[in-house]
Amino acid sequence: MGKGQYIAKRIIQLIITFFIILTILFFLFRLALPDPTAALVMDGLSAEEQALVRARFGLDRPLVEQYFIYLRNFLTGEFGISFHYKSAVFPILMEKLFNTLALMLPAIFISYLIGPLLGVLLSWKRGSNTEFAGIVGGLFLRSAPVFWTGMIFIMIFGIWLGILPTSGMRTLPYTATGNFDKIMTLDYLRHLFLPMLTIALYYLGLPMLIMRNTMLEIMGEDFIELCQAKGLSERRIMYKHVARNALLPVVTQAAITIGLAVGGQVVVEVVFSWPGLGREMIQAVRTSDFPMAQSAFMMMAGLVLIMNTVADLLYSYLDPRVVLKGGNK
Amino acid sequence: MRRKLLPYLFVAILVLVLSVGVSAQRVPELNIMTTTEGYDPIRYEAAFLIQDNLAELGIEVTVSPTEFSTLIQNFYNEQDFEIAIAGWSGRVDRLDPQHFLGTLESGQSDLGGNNPGGYVNERYDELFQLQSQEFDQDLRREYVLEMQSIAMDEQPLNILFFRDEVVAYNKDNFTGFVPMAGEAIYNEWIPFDVEPLGADRSLTIGTTQEPDNINPLDSTTVWGWKFMRMYYDKLIRLSPDIEPLPWAAESVEAIDDNTIEIVLRDGMNFHDGEAVTVEDVKFSYDYYQEQDFAYFRPFYQPLEEVIIVDDNTLHFVLEEPTSFFITVTLSQIPILPKHLWEDIEAADQLSPEDVPTVGSGPLVFDQYDRGEYKRLVKNEDYFMADEIDIDAVDFNIYADSEGVYTALVTEEIDMTAWRLEPAQINLAEQEDHLEVVSVPDFGYYHMTYNLRVPPMDDIEFRRALAHAVPYDTFINVLLDGLGERGTSIIAPVNAFWHNPDVPLYDYDLDLARERLEAAGYWWDDEGRLNFPQ
Repeated sequence: MGKGQYIAKRIIQLIITFFIILTILFFLFRLALPDPTAALVMDGLSAEEQALVRARFGLDRPLVEQYFIYLRNFLTGEFGISFHYKSAVFPILMEKLFNTLALMLPAIFISYLIGPLLGVLLSWKRGSNTEFAGIVGGLFLRSAPVFWTGMIFIMIFGIWLGILPTSGMRTLPYTATGNFDKIMTLDYLRHLFLPMLTIALYYLGLPMLIMRNTMLEIMGEDFIELCQAKGLSERRIMYKHVARNALLPVVTQAAITIGLAVGGQVVVEVVFSWPGLGREMIQAVRTSDFPMAQSAFMMMAGLVLIMNTVADLLYSYLDPRVVLKGGNK
Repeated sequence: MRRKLLPYLFVAILVLVLSVGVSAQRVPELNIMTTTEGYDPIRYEAAFLIQDNLAELGIEVTVSPTEFSTLIQNFYNEQDFEIAIAGWSGRVDRLDPQHFLGTLESGQSDLGGNNPGGYVNERYDELFQLQSQEFDQDLRREYVLEMQSIAMDEQPLNILFFRDEVVAYNKDNFTGFVPMAGEAIYNEWIPFDVEPLGADRSLTIGTTQEPDNINPLDSTTVWGWKFMRMYYDKLIRLSPDIEPLPWAAESVEAIDDNTIEIVLRDGMNFHDGEAVTVEDVKFSYDYYQEQDFAYFRPFYQPLEEVIIVDDNTLHFVLEEPTSFFITVTLSQIPILPKHLWEDIEAADQLSPEDVPTVGSGPLVFDQYDRGEYKRLVKNEDYFMADEIDIDAVDFNIYADSEGVYTALVTEEIDMTAWRLEPAQINLAEQEDHLEVVSVPDFGYYHMTYNLRVPPMDDIEFRRALAHAVPYDTFINVLLDGLGERGTSIIAPVNAFWHNPDVPLYDYDLDLARERLEAAGYWWDDEGRLNFPQ
């Protein structure tokens, strides 16, 4: 019983879920996607040559055998060789993941910083035109497709004003030796601006509206009345008492969003030609690059699971009313 | 009760027997497999246009838009199709007729081969052998022309259209582009032809396509090779008019049926400063054979051995006379530096950072970052360095063609490596700084019949169908005028090998009906086409 047991239980659940996802991924790609060698036929490979390629990638073995090799490789941290690039999957994946996070984390950070603050403001100004404008604006941004907002930004800032770059993450040609070299430049920030704005605006609506709704709920509770009776200032009640309690659902949402961020905003990556993981996933599916596709989706699934668990655990610290319980009693 | 039921039963059986009798003669519903609308809206629409026209002939057709790699799988690997709409891209080594003619050779009709329709014609096969062994170009041409007549007459496939390659470049910054059939302006002549007009001497090319890798013994995509051929040199270079020019070779001469003598150019160096010698040339060809690189196998297969005669002379000894050896093999296989490759035992196992990128070509490899950027710089030491006016070629890699087009407009790039989308062509024409270039292609889009399935096994049926294909509608409506109607498998733009005298089948539904009728086909009361009795 108690915290430790609860955490252990969650971790076991996590492992089981992850194993199921691994299995589904393996069979899903093999059953749904065409044979990876099919793409090579257009370049005039004969049947015999294709057989060689199949053997090289281990595709000539029975599916069940392939599955066990896949599990073994996963346990030993072996991500395999990409069929398309014909080189190790892991370094490619890591590079793309870094690029994706370099876009997604700033965007999520900004939207989860500003969103809840705006939410507080909206609930405070309940019934006013500000609230109305805020809700409409939030819903609008939430429902506007990101490729559309992205293209509008490209048109305005890239083509009409010509002040911001519209593609990639740095000006070419360039030389960068490591990942941090890549992002410690003003040039990177200039490239980051438009795609980040697109994503941040899209993500902004959710924490803002969740915050507002929860705030309104909490404002109706008895202890707020008590605070007012104590003569606390309105500002103090709002930020110190209501907002703090209303943050909980926002935290869960933030954790899930960060988990999903690994896959990137595929559409935004395409519109802004951002060299991230989302683009890589599309390409991997298109070329039936099983090892690449599996590893990318595996990573995304793993992160969503972990972030969810973290959010659950975090709850108990943020809200003492939530007690972690280990089991049956 | 029984007696009452009997007549009904009798009538029911009669109806059943009759309908089976009738439907057995009916031409069954046929299936056309084509690409999805997303992959290629033109092939997709073309299938529906053909469906409409065949309906006019009383032939029921269903269209199956199929995801591209599944289509390729069904078409080539499993030959599981009735009628398929597919295409061959025009690659420079396919200007030699060998490859396209081979797609109708009976030897390639096995599963996975290039002749999935299963066409067999003895005379055609015989001519295919003859032309592939004939060094005399004029004689070879005669064989090639006759093969085209046979294919056109027997219609194992119908060539629907040739699509123009429409690309654009920034005419304020660069000039001198020489378009090449099938390659448009992103071809091997860029270093020698393109001249900067302003201060910017780096030509920036925008592309969505990316090499699979840059290992000359592992890359199996056109985009890998289009990049690598810029920094590797070859013995022969094909001129923009597809004439084989001795390049790293001083001279190339067939001294008898099976032997080609090569004299190597003097004073060439690899980018690391080592001299290019006959040893390197021999090594390159031996190495490709030894490593058994499948993608190039058709190129080096006829080669028996390479003999070093003296310091700058080599003899290429062939197993049998091979007409395409000079035009294709010598112009495609790169010269590799022996000192960097000889110790590599399995070249396809190299990890990307270990792949040597040293060639002896007009440009020098500088950088490649996957998904972002590639860069080549001028080889100051090249024997034709005086002819090279640009300092570098940069490649920006975009996620989609929209990104490439935006970059053209914002002048981030100077030219496109691949065709513009139809909607972008009109927009590009309105931009003052852009020049739009339209180049005919020799790759073709075709409708291939599975000749193992009736009625496609009937030559008369196929001839009639050739009259039911709306060739002009494809060009005027689907391609916006940017293309040419399908003729022979060797396209008109490939002027030397194309047979301009093959009689074409015109779009004429009445004629199609007449031909079907003459062959004994007939229409039932419902207007459906029936097999000859």
